[in-house]
Amino acid sequence: MRPRRALQRRGARESVILFTVGGFKFAIAAAAVSEIRSMDGLQRFFGGTGHKALTKVVYTLERNGMTHFVVSAAQHFHLPPSKPTRLLILRHATAAVLVDSTDRMTEISVLHALPLAFTGEERTWYRGIAILNGEVVPVVNPSSFLSRGEAAVLRAITEPVQGVAG
Amino acid sequence: MSAGSEKSFVLFPLGSRRFALPAEKVTELAKPDRLQTFPQSTPLLAGVLVRRGRIVPVCDVAHALVGPDAPARKFYLIANRQFEERKEWTAIPVTGECELTSVQPQKPAAKLPDYVLGVLSLENDIVEVLDLEKLITTEAAA
Repeated sequence: MRPRRALQRRGARESVILFTVGGFKFAIAAAAVSEIRSMDGLQRFFGGTGHKALTKVVYTLERNGMTHFVVSAAQHFHLPPSKPTRLLILRHATAAVLVDSTDRMTEISVLHALPLAFTGEERTWYRGIAILNGEVVPVVNPSSFLSRGEAAVLRAITEPVQGVAG
Repeated sequence: MSAGSEKSFVLFPLGSRRFALPAEKVTELAKPDRLQTFPQSTPLLAGVLVRRGRIVPVCDVAHALVGPDAPARKFYLIANRQFEERKEWTAIPVTGECELTSVQPQKPAAKLPDYVLGVLSLENDIVEVLDLEKLITTEAAA
């Protein structure tokens, strides 16, 4: 008996941005990114050091009157420290993501479901897998970089400080 | 595993030892293919293969079965895993060519790990029949 084919989302082509972290290539929906910029203007953030899950937040960025919490993608994916050069600011989110480099924008037409054999954190990290020229590229889930709960904790850490400073 | 009648098994080598899977669990033996990796944290999973447009996870059980000195894996045995109502291919790296045999399985005489369904008494060889699901679950919990 042949297994049923894994769920694949076919349909309209989706624009994605390719980026690298620690030698691995990833894709993120272009619609989820509002800006790609350099690391200029980042301020070191140590507020997450008391929370194991938040040590991945390494900088903050003030932009358009909003504080963005900058997540190290290398730490998020439990990779060795890398050399980030670019910042992906996520749309409609307080998170921004520090990546080693951005490659190019491309289109995918099929998003393969992550096989069920994968049972770890990758199930929240990725929306699925794309195959680009025979190369497997995980398509990240933008909301996994900083959950609502994590964002709330970060705001609670930073707001009193800002209040005192102000 | 009930003893008493002949059943078909696929024998596969891991270094100097051989193991068996029930033949109905095996889909094909694949030639060396490009293992592709990405960050993930599932125990035993080494990456994925792309086979005929399908993403096939690679589950390397060699360390669990024969230790860290297992020689380089040369082929992939593609097995079916059951996830509730869905079946999914999983590639098992093996160190040599596989063999199909029909033999009557026996209950193990000695205490063996829970993932051993039974043993096959072959010429000069006793081969453990694996329950792949139990093996993966056991090793993931270890």
